[in-house]
Amino acid sequence: MTTRGARGRLRVGVAKLASCDGCQLTILDLEEELLAIAERIDIVEFPEASSLRSAGPYDVLLVEGSVSSPDQAAEIVELRRQTKTLVTIGACATAGGIQALRNWSDHEAFRTAVYPRPELVESLDTATPISDHVKVDAQLVGCPISPDHLRELLAALLVGRRPQIREEAVCLECKRRGYVCVMVATGTPCLGPLTQTGCGALCPAFGRGCYGCFGPREQPHGESLARTFADLTAGPADVARLFAGFTAWTPPFRAIVDQHGGPPGRTPGGPATKEGVGDARR
Amino acid sequence: MVSDDRSPFPSWPAAAPAAPVPALPAAGPWFLARPNLGVLIDLLRSDGRTVIGPTVEDGTIVFAEIASADDLPAGVGDVQAPGSYRLVTHANRRVFDYTVGPQGPKRWLFPPRAPLSVGHRDGGAVTFEPAATEPSRLALIGVRACELAAMGVQDRVFLGGPFTDEDYRARRGNVLVVAVNCTTASSTCFCTSMGTGPEARGGYDLVMTEVDDGFVVRAGSPEGADLIARLPVRAADAGLVVEASDAVARVAAAMGDPVPTAGLHDRLLAQWDSPHWVEIADRCLACANCTLVCPTCFCSSVVQRSDLDGKVSASDRVWDSCFTVGFAKVAGGNFRTRYRDRYRQWLTHKFATWIDQFGTFGCVGCGRCIAWCPVGIDVRAELMAIAPPLATRAEATPVLPVAATPGDYVTGRVIAKRPETADVTTLVLGDLDPAFLAGRPGQFAMVTLPAFPPLPISISRFGRDTIELTIRAAGPATAALIGLSTGDQIGLRGPLGTSWPVDRAVGHDVVVVTGGIGLAPLRPLLDALIAQRNRFGTIHLYYGARTPADQLYREELRGLAARGDIDVQLIVDRAGEEWTGPVGVVTHLIDRATWDGSRSFGFVCGPERMMEATAEALEARDLSAERIFVTLERHMECGIGLCGHCQVGRLFVCRDGPVFSLPQLGDLLGREGI
Repeated sequence: MTTRGARGRLRVGVAKLASCDGCQLTILDLEEELLAIAERIDIVEFPEASSLRSAGPYDVLLVEGSVSSPDQAAEIVELRRQTKTLVTIGACATAGGIQALRNWSDHEAFRTAVYPRPELVESLDTATPISDHVKVDAQLVGCPISPDHLRELLAALLVGRRPQIREEAVCLECKRRGYVCVMVATGTPCLGPLTQTGCGALCPAFGRGCYGCFGPREQPHGESLARTFADLTAGPADVARLFAGFTAWTPPFRAIVDQHGGPPGRTPGGPATKEGVGDARR
Repeated sequence: MVSDDRSPFPSWPAAAPAAPVPALPAAGPWFLARPNLGVLIDLLRSDGRTVIGPTVEDGTIVFAEIASADDLPAGVGDVQAPGSYRLVTHANRRVFDYTVGPQGPKRWLFPPRAPLSVGHRDGGAVTFEPAATEPSRLALIGVRACELAAMGVQDRVFLGGPFTDEDYRARRGNVLVVAVNCTTASSTCFCTSMGTGPEARGGYDLVMTEVDDGFVVRAGSPEGADLIARLPVRAADAGLVVEASDAVARVAAAMGDPVPTAGLHDRLLAQWDSPHWVEIADRCLACANCTLVCPTCFCSSVVQRSDLDGKVSASDRVWDSCFTVGFAKVAGGNFRTRYRDRYRQWLTHKFATWIDQFGTFGCVGCGRCIAWCPVGIDVRAELMAIAPPLATRAEATPVLPVAATPGDYVTGRVIAKRPETADVTTLVLGDLDPAFLAGRPGQFAMVTLPAFPPLPISISRFGRDTIELTIRAAGPATAALIGLSTGDQIGLRGPLGTSWPVDRAVGHDVVVVTGGIGLAPLRPLLDALIAQRNRFGTIHLYYGARTPADQLYREELRGLAARGDIDVQLIVDRAGEEWTGPVGVVTHLIDRATWDGSRSFGFVCGPERMMEATAEALEARDLSAERIFVTLERHMECGIGLCGHCQVGRLFVCRDGPVFSLPQLGDLLGREGI
């Protein structure tokens, strides 16, 4: 299959499933380099930037959002079929996103509580990462993704090398930038030691603990940090809440959430509790 | 091989030798009044230097640019513990009354990110432009002895080998150092063990020791002497000089020697397969904080940022860490995939292989890796657990009692008497059979005077030539013993019974809980812990008494508390007017504590119901029952398991005890009528 666009340039598309569009906006945040990028690739599909629509095939497709409805489950299979290199971008696409907290709750109870006519709403009882549905070639994590990561990915694709994206803990960035550790200095729970770098240690820069927007780094040791969180907080419910954020559905964080009684405010009976998904991962 | 080098920094700096500093007449000591410290900062700034010093920021005392003496942390101190750092306010206005902050001078000499080069690719041709370093002239104020030593270590790393780091050399050559001798130490400090502090021994231009009204100042270089000549100083009188040196000596004494380094290199390298690496990996996050706060860690990576065509690419050197997953990755695999591998790499490098490579330890004892570990892993405790010091004395050798059988007494002589409380007296006995002196903490003696029934009495101290018996006047026999005069003889058998398992507690935290006269059998244990303080983790002593006047060994307790490395907490049932401490039962102290007892041994002596309650409180703190020991009191006649008086269930307290672990006693402890 030849997919090269006009003048042999890469045909790049951007697609979205269940998401807030924030990651697509990050592409526009590249600002000064946007024109240079546009000169080197053909962006054939980009709903946030242009009303132009183009079907595949794509050399590269950037997909944001989780699979949250039956339509999306079908759509991602079709998009995969049309794409050479499928790159998921953002916490929703890579980890299920904040909406994946519903995976611990009774979806039907939510639907009937929120919508006057729930039968008109077609949604799955889980919000899941794209990698649960189709093969993914590369991913950029984060809520939203880092413009630097995106730029590095595009530069690497254009030059034909591997992107250099560090997989280390946020802690290294805090130390390099000279930010004082909020856990040690103020006793504030911080997911930084488990979370992949990329945000520039944004929250600790303002004295806040890391929320884990970029998800677990390689080989995170959640149990040890959870034990320390238990000492710093009122108990297991607090520990679960700390891990139950934008990337709660990633297996390492999910295991901790499950060990500490699930996310606060859940309505028991969700798929996770019904099927014991979390338990199986532990 | 430099395995026994107690002082790994013999000559400083090794790799960047400065002109030898003659004993300058202007070297001092001088006295600089505190209000004139600002003059020094102004001088440095007027000399064109950017002044980096301690200042309060984000709840810590950081090293940052300061504009004047007003930026210094006057009246602010720090309290550091594993995984914890907090600021405190002091009543005084001292500006250096803290220890070390989150990061030291390293980031100014070896910055977290430094440009290396820019590469260009034009068709088939490539070119590279090295980045040029033009560091600004810095003055570092408040550099501690450990940090000076760390600069010496990095000098060896970056400048001491066949290839040197020119960025480091340029920055290093532009730094003026105003050192400060430490007059306070954090619980995390161990420079005394690493031979680096608390007194700066060289490598500075000026060194100051803070006293009540200012600073005793000495020059360490011609540039320092030149500064002195321009400062409003006067010659420091002898009293000030002594005040300053005493303050530093007190800090050194308070730290003790928590990490005995004799033979550490070989001890550690013999432990590649220690099961303890796995145990550490259960706690370690591999978050890299320890390495990034370490003042000697020098690992880095090169990161590149290329343009969209791959034609121009800028390379930077950034701090990296042996704890990151990518650090030992190669195509097709990773040499250190497991956390245990990475911790082992770090620890063995700092304390062993660093010596092979650079001729010094890679650790200066600043304690940052302890305080800034999010989960509070204490490198000192881990070292002692993995590579314990060689035993200085064979404690486990069983000692056969002398004159064991009833009637077969030997004598000792009262050589001193010390009243402890209204009804408790300590007899110091000399003229003894050597076997008594080889007894172990927790053992007792059968003591008698002709005409009085023999009594089991715990030995409350093993001295060089003496033992001590601390006796409460509870009846005629004890009253007679207390009534002895110096020079009087006494009948003895022993030492008898089991002892506190001091050796088993090596490498662990220790909690000693006692009430009233129960402190007496524990005093030899405390002596043993102190004698080898560095072999144990934290030590807590919780002591309850009816009233303040009922406390034994009050002077010694004050001394223990003043050491700084033992948590001594006293509580009384009834307080007098002068008592400002807590009131209540001793278990309250355990309930209020914040430590995690999973790595602790507990030693308890007191009334049996108190020991039962204490055991419960300790178990609630995650001490395992196997690690909780109590000592029982029973009527004894023979002391060797023949008379039957002291039977408790299947046990004879004299022969099988008096020291028992909780599982040995099972549900017998505290049970009525046993």
